[in-house]
Amino acid sequence: MMQFRSLQARLLAMSMGLVIAVWVGVAWLTWTTASHDLDELLDGHLAQAAALLVVQQIEPEESDEVADAPSLHRYAPRVAFQVFHEGHLVMRSANAGTVPMSAQPRGFSTERLSDGSQWRVFSTRGAERDVQVYVGEQTASRREILRAVLLGMLLPLMIALPLLALLLWWAVRQGLDPLRQLSEVLGHRRPQALEPVGLDNMPSEMRPMVNALNGLLQRIENMVMTERRFTADAAHELRTPIAAIRAQAQVALGAGADVSQRDHALRYTLAGCDRATRLVEQLLTLARLEAAPSAVASSVVPVNLSGLARGVAADLAPAAMARHQILELEAGVPCWVTGNDVLIGVMVRNLIDNAMRYSPDGAKVLLNVTTEAGQPVLRIEDSGPGMTDSQIARLGERFYRVLGSDQPGSGLGWSIVKRLADAFGAGIQVSRSSLLGGLAVEVRWPLP
Amino acid sequence: MRILLAEDDPMLGDGLRVGLRQLGFQVDWVRDGVAAERELATGDYAAAVLDLGLPLKDGMEVLQTLRGRRVATPVLILTARDGVPDRVRGLDMGADDYVVKPVDLNELGARLRSLVRRAHGQTQDFLYCGAVMLDPSARHVTLNGNPVALSTREFDLLHALMLNAGRVLSREQLEQQLYSWGYEVDSNAIEVHIHHIRRKLFPDVIQTVRGIGYLVPRAPDPS
Repeated sequence: MMQFRSLQARLLAMSMGLVIAVWVGVAWLTWTTASHDLDELLDGHLAQAAALLVVQQIEPEESDEVADAPSLHRYAPRVAFQVFHEGHLVMRSANAGTVPMSAQPRGFSTERLSDGSQWRVFSTRGAERDVQVYVGEQTASRREILRAVLLGMLLPLMIALPLLALLLWWAVRQGLDPLRQLSEVLGHRRPQALEPVGLDNMPSEMRPMVNALNGLLQRIENMVMTERRFTADAAHELRTPIAAIRAQAQVALGAGADVSQRDHALRYTLAGCDRATRLVEQLLTLARLEAAPSAVASSVVPVNLSGLARGVAADLAPAAMARHQILELEAGVPCWVTGNDVLIGVMVRNLIDNAMRYSPDGAKVLLNVTTEAGQPVLRIEDSGPGMTDSQIARLGERFYRVLGSDQPGSGLGWSIVKRLADAFGAGIQVSRSSLLGGLAVEVRWPLP
Repeated sequence: MRILLAEDDPMLGDGLRVGLRQLGFQVDWVRDGVAAERELATGDYAAAVLDLGLPLKDGMEVLQTLRGRRVATPVLILTARDGVPDRVRGLDMGADDYVVKPVDLNELGARLRSLVRRAHGQTQDFLYCGAVMLDPSARHVTLNGNPVALSTREFDLLHALMLNAGRVLSREQLEQQLYSWGYEVDSNAIEVHIHHIRRKLFPDVIQTVRGIGYLVPRAPDPS
């Protein structure tokens, strides 16, 4: 089927095509019924005329002369008859020849005569005497009548069609007006305008589309907001570490002969750089999680939580040892969870990192991977200061940091952990560790 | 000049404290809003550097409370919030200056000096008292145009007195303006410093009001 770029052209072409098809169908039906009826009618006339002629031959004149009937009507040349008595032509119309018009003694036949004209002939015989009558009519005349009928039907249509096309074009245009208005409204929008399109006076056919469009706009707006918030957060949160780096670097420059002060400042400068780097990484992780939460669930594979926790703990062990912290893992059997292994790794790392970061030197951090009632559970406990209930309640707020911790954290770790747990469908519980007295964090995966 | 630094970030706080000390300020460092409010309420500080995102009590609230209690200590807001509405709000709330992180230490020092100077109704950079001229930014004192070498404490003491020219400052007030936390101040430290200043400049530069304190007489500006 032909592809139309314009809905209007498509509608117009389809409706015009349908109108023409219906008209042609009607014409064809009219033609066939008309030709059938006409045939019946005219055949009836022929038969009637023949019967009349047969009846008239009851008292034949004994004459050798052929009586030629005069032509009385302009239509007469198209009608002819012959009457034979015992094989002799006794009467004929002016236009009839001497040879019998049909070889058939009775009934209808269609004959082509020597002059090329085609005739519909009715033959009949007298009942008592040898009378043979032929009445014929030129078939061309029948076709002319039919043509006239058909023309009578088609001619108005020929005139009406262009008018109809014009009117249909106008009607379709009127009908599609809301669509054009919508495209105008959308076309005149500023690129930043993400507010939904109004549904007032919107035709019901367009509502689903506009609703879908509004949904899309909403999603785009959310994404833009996330993006903006990320940019703003990132800029703000980076300001402090950068300010610290700058201040420390200036202190180092201004330390002069005070070597210990300079070294202290330089060490802090480096630590500030590490901290800014970590902050950037965390912000990016969070931005990715927020921008595409579905991506988290996309690559879901069985992950051995015990093995994963062991790997992460091994990575972090040197840092723990440097602070004389004891990092222990209790993970007897493999414990399978489903999720993205890299992201589960990020979560576990953040949890252990937090426990170590906010516990003093020499503290103990205990990791435990078990299965409880079929549910995989990761538990991280520390002997640090723990948190109060109000502090626990504020955990996971972006950039929320517990007061008095000298650790330069960004407060983003928990946001990441919380988001990841949500994505995995895992629940997180924070409480006071009964074993070590510090913070206890429990991540509980749903039943596999 | 004794400054209160309210900053919760350990790394930045440390850097600012040491850096401002290098510039000759006495710096006390608090890490939350409640402590900042408590310390500022004493009025012992020449100026304060206030972070807005403080734990326990937001910097803006601290400022509001202080101004409500008519504590006039000049406050410089040092923050990561750089939006114009934030700036406007901070200044309207009673801040004397608004600086967005990161900041150059020298600039921060200059701004603090400027705040202190303006708080004492001065419009000029230099302080004058007769033949004595004190340049706070260069930490430099001249007598009749000749440079005079003063120790840090001596300079700060003279600076404090010259800033409050015409007003009597008690020994306690001077001690509080001169020493940040953690210093054991000898009971006669101020007297010793004043003795040295008098010796290096001239005896009448600082006058003793017996039983009350010390003052530098207000002198008309040379200009």
